[in-house]
Amino acid sequence: MSFPNPAKAVKLVLLGEAAVGKSSLVLRFVSNDFQENKEPTIGAAFLTQKCTIGDKTIKYEIWDTAGQERFASLAPMYYRNAQAALVVYDITKPASFLKARHWVKELHEQASKDITIALVGNKYDLVEDENDGDTLRKVSVEEGQKLAEDEGLLFFETSAKTSYNVNEVFVGIGTKIPESSAPTGVQQAGNEAGRIDLTTGAASTTQQTSGCC
Amino acid sequence: MGKKKQEMSQVYNSNNEFIFGEKGGKGKNLSTFLKNLSLTTSPSQPQSEFNEANSNIYGSLSYSNPNTNEISRSNPSLARRASPKRSLSGPTNMSFAHSLTPTASEALRTNSPTRTKRVVSAKYADLDDDWDANFDDARVDTDMPSVRREGFGNTFLDPSPMLDSLYPDLTIPAGTKEPVKDSIDLEDMKIKLEINKLNQLNTKFLKFKALLTQSSNINLQELRKLSWNGIPSNLRAISWQILLGYLPTNKSRQSATLKIKRQEYLDGINSSSLNLNRDKQIYHQIKIDVKRTNPTVKLYGHPEVQKSLRKILYFWAIRHPASGYVQGINDLVTPFFQIFLTNYIWQLQPLLNDPQLFNYNLHNLDPTQISSRVLSIIEADTYWCLSRLLETITDNYIHQQPGILKQVSDLKNLISKIDIDLIHHFEQENIEFLQFAFRWMNCLLMRELSIDLIIRMWDTYLSESPLGFSNFHIYVCAAFLIKFSSDLKQKDFQEIILFLQNPPTSHWTDKDIELMLSEAFIWSSLYKNASAHLR
Repeated sequence: MSFPNPAKAVKLVLLGEAAVGKSSLVLRFVSNDFQENKEPTIGAAFLTQKCTIGDKTIKYEIWDTAGQERFASLAPMYYRNAQAALVVYDITKPASFLKARHWVKELHEQASKDITIALVGNKYDLVEDENDGDTLRKVSVEEGQKLAEDEGLLFFETSAKTSYNVNEVFVGIGTKIPESSAPTGVQQAGNEAGRIDLTTGAASTTQQTSGCC
Repeated sequence: MGKKKQEMSQVYNSNNEFIFGEKGGKGKNLSTFLKNLSLTTSPSQPQSEFNEANSNIYGSLSYSNPNTNEISRSNPSLARRASPKRSLSGPTNMSFAHSLTPTASEALRTNSPTRTKRVVSAKYADLDDDWDANFDDARVDTDMPSVRREGFGNTFLDPSPMLDSLYPDLTIPAGTKEPVKDSIDLEDMKIKLEINKLNQLNTKFLKFKALLTQSSNINLQELRKLSWNGIPSNLRAISWQILLGYLPTNKSRQSATLKIKRQEYLDGINSSSLNLNRDKQIYHQIKIDVKRTNPTVKLYGHPEVQKSLRKILYFWAIRHPASGYVQGINDLVTPFFQIFLTNYIWQLQPLLNDPQLFNYNLHNLDPTQISSRVLSIIEADTYWCLSRLLETITDNYIHQQPGILKQVSDLKNLISKIDIDLIHHFEQENIEFLQFAFRWMNCLLMRELSIDLIIRMWDTYLSESPLGFSNFHIYVCAAFLIKFSSDLKQKDFQEIILFLQNPPTSHWTDKDIELMLSEAFIWSSLYKNASAHLR
């Protein structure tokens, strides 16, 4: 009657400081393309892409949000019903990592409880040929991993420019996302009654966030 | 500092105007420039001519018209002394008119109803008294004599006896088909339509020019009325500056005002750059965004232009701490910058007698040729005009952007009055207006329409009183959305969002914009009382 593996719709939102490469990651994933000076996203941009993982097909419905602080009040509209989130920072910009912590905290507090989050350190191309000495890298792999472990996030370092690790992010999300997670249209906005322990845990490990811009 | 100030003051010293200069270095004065670049066959071009051209905003009106350009080239003394009226009676105008006449009279002889309609719908502005007698004569003898006097729009559909006999095809009822004759006619037709268009443009230009030059105090109401329907490109810079209240309508005050304002900008820039560290983050954001402003237009890739934009945006941001720099403002600065820049280039054309200069446009212009002083003038004008615009939408860029939220909700209310079915369809598909209209407000449709169309749109916005960027823009957005209404009603959530994210406007022309503006105007009149809350 129906296909054995109908594409499962997954609503995914990208969050992160301005100019860390959110739109570029999506452009790489959706069109396998890269633009050097992509104009800043205003509000949010919507894109879709299908992704086959093993025997299941996922259709990502992606909201790529604007990064500038001034637009932050719009973000809840986009992550409200999201089943997955990419929190992106620039591994050469420490401030963007602080901002990432802030977003992780906000997602744990405000978004759907079973949201799958991946922490993504972008612009790996800027550091890949460097030795450990004088480097553009300002956020270490360990710092990223630590945050991911503490918060229960997937973690990747990527380059939208060279496409390094980009597909892996989406495959990783698709693999981890709970099977029971309802498709976008059906999911309710206010379904988070319990499971407070996760939130409090998240809050306690992200004390620094108040200091970020 | 003292030295700097003195240097800057030279910008305004009309006897020593610097135009082009090597990158970042000292400018060169006109004659040096001419010699060095061998751009002219008459290096003796009198300096005084340039001074006059420079009279108010580094250029007076008398040099802007292609026709008068011709005059000044062929007969500099005429141009120098000419009152606007007299300059129009020059030989070039005559020849311009002559070149039109053989074919123009046949322009209205159409073969098919559609083409009739196109010609008919073209407006023939009443050329009344401000027409120069010579010019008139040259045209009237052979050119559509009665049509020209018929005034606007459909009024000249009334078959006056003369019109009837001269252009019988005009009076055929709509829907009547006549066989298309042959391809030569079609070619002719195109040329004739083109000529008609040029005639209209010329008429429009003369009206603007008369308004801007014939009185010591420019009639702002009149300028708004004319500008609403589009401003001739070579008078756009000055018209915009007047409409924004940056350039005084009182002409005796213009030079002094510009001098003060430009100096104020320079002083501000010079002192604010010292405090750069204080607002490092703002500057960083601006730097990133300027690099990706109009990335496909070559002009905006030039380091000099990027530097100018950074200065303008940064200075605005630190002077408006409640909003600071918000993404999207980097888009809003570009129309001003390029209009003022090209205007400056145009001012030079008749003076340098260099045919090559006519070919400079935004795509091949090398800004390194422009002296830093001139760039600073263009920057200053851009800064002040941008400030005026943003003053009318300050709430759009402050914390939580209440202005935009209100505009978006007003838009939704308006659509529910105009097209309730579309609202119902959106509700059914879970579309939220914020998802697409936020950007329409934040960037004033600059992401949806090409810059040329935006510039035309701003002619009208700037002619609205109060300026149209806040309230009138909502009606324009409504017209924009409704334009796609029947398409949208066939689409689901995803298709709607993708469609509105990339609306099919790449083939749009000024006509599409003008239609949209007219619709917006009608709705704004219609719903004025009902939506007083829009204010």
